[in-house]
Amino acid sequence: MAASDLYLQKARPVILRYGLAVFSVCLALGGALLIERFHLRNMTLFLCAIATAAWYGGAGAALLALLLSCISFAYFFIEPRSALPYFILFVLFTALITGFSTVRRRIQGELLQSRVELEALNKELEAFAYSVSHDLRAPVRHMVAFTELLQRSSASLLDDKSRRYVLMILESAKRMGNLIDDLLAFSKISRAETQKTLVNLDQLVKEAVSEVQLETSGRDIVWRIDPLPVCYGDRSMLRLALVNLISNAVKFTGTRVQAVIEIGFTDQKQGQVVFFVRDNGVGFDMKYLNKLFGVFQRLHPREEFEGTGIGLATVQRIVHRHGGTVWAEGEVDKGASFYFSLSKSQGD
Amino acid sequence: MERILMVEDDAKDVELTLAALDEYNLANEVVVTRDGEKALDYLYCRGNFTGRPKGNPALLLLDLKLPKVDGFEVLRQIRSDDQLRMIPVVVLTSSHEERDMVASYKLGVNAYVVKPVDFHEFVNAIRQLGMFWAVINEPPPGSVKK
Repeated sequence: MAASDLYLQKARPVILRYGLAVFSVCLALGGALLIERFHLRNMTLFLCAIATAAWYGGAGAALLALLLSCISFAYFFIEPRSALPYFILFVLFTALITGFSTVRRRIQGELLQSRVELEALNKELEAFAYSVSHDLRAPVRHMVAFTELLQRSSASLLDDKSRRYVLMILESAKRMGNLIDDLLAFSKISRAETQKTLVNLDQLVKEAVSEVQLETSGRDIVWRIDPLPVCYGDRSMLRLALVNLISNAVKFTGTRVQAVIEIGFTDQKQGQVVFFVRDNGVGFDMKYLNKLFGVFQRLHPREEFEGTGIGLATVQRIVHRHGGTVWAEGEVDKGASFYFSLSKSQGD
Repeated sequence: MERILMVEDDAKDVELTLAALDEYNLANEVVVTRDGEKALDYLYCRGNFTGRPKGNPALLLLDLKLPKVDGFEVLRQIRSDDQLRMIPVVVLTSSHEERDMVASYKLGVNAYVVKPVDFHEFVNAIRQLGMFWAVINEPPPGSVKK
């Protein structure tokens, strides 16, 4: 409805707009004459005609509709003596509708303008990410490759110290590669269109858990997974968010003899569901909460827990794109809980 | 006689790919052109390649981002030429971008390989590509024979 309304209100050629005014007044006149047969006097139809002309045709069309309405109303329905109050009513009504319409048009124009600007910006960003993916990865790849070739060809010539240096170069270059890949994946989330359908969260969590279970061999992990509801969202994005949260839980319980990871939900008002992923891992200090979801923010040294620090930023962006919120609670050495809200149905 | 045509503008990538293929004695089967125009010259036996022995390569390793004529255009020309359209083409690129992949497949590429960052994986990928297309796969009629 809103979309078709917007479409109809687009700028039209003059002839169409004034034509609309004439047409709607004619229609109103016809209707009014029909009603007149039953001895009823009705001016509402004319008011409707004026309103239509003003809304879709602008001020000029409104004026024309007003003029035509006054003339035909005066000619067909009333004595000239009692015409004045009706005319004043017509004029006031026209002024009111035209005023509304003008304000609305201005706002719409501004919105359209900012939308065009945003689209241009987004395009630019896309081109940037594209060239990053092409041009930035190549030198990193070369660094890694030639260092490995060097490692191979000079292994017998170098002393331990030099071999260590080569190893450091290699590790750094690899990390750079991972950072670039993660950053690209992250920027893709904001660029990609979301395709929202009903998603079975149970199934999704199962998939996510089995994906991270590749890293959990030899570890004692207790999974407590509640039956989860069906939600509305983009399947692959939600899957990515869950994989990130669950692999975090697995990662940060790495120091525990027995890790306990809970996944569940609570029903909220207005069709919202809050999911949580809770672990008994190393947790975090609540005073660093604001850093938790930042890009490339890490709360632990890299030697302790690996990762590029982009996982939670990804989760946050995905949840925001679904119109939900994400937050966390934690305590050092006691574990952490991550929450995010989603809506159950399409209407949001 | 070279059976693999590699189109790659980056000298380092050329060296790395040849190094990877060399481990399996395939390096001397490769002819390298550094842009799309030269690649087409090679395929059509013109320009610097006027005198080359006739026959299509058994495999074309194609980068997408190339000077002068880019990989997509090379691909388009190959696929619209009756003599060349059967050449197996493998895109070998740095790009993870989905649209590049989709565009390549739409143009009828036989495989799309993203160059792995890790050198071992890269060597592996190149080796498998070389093995499969130059050794295992039966090339279309009109290809250069070993």
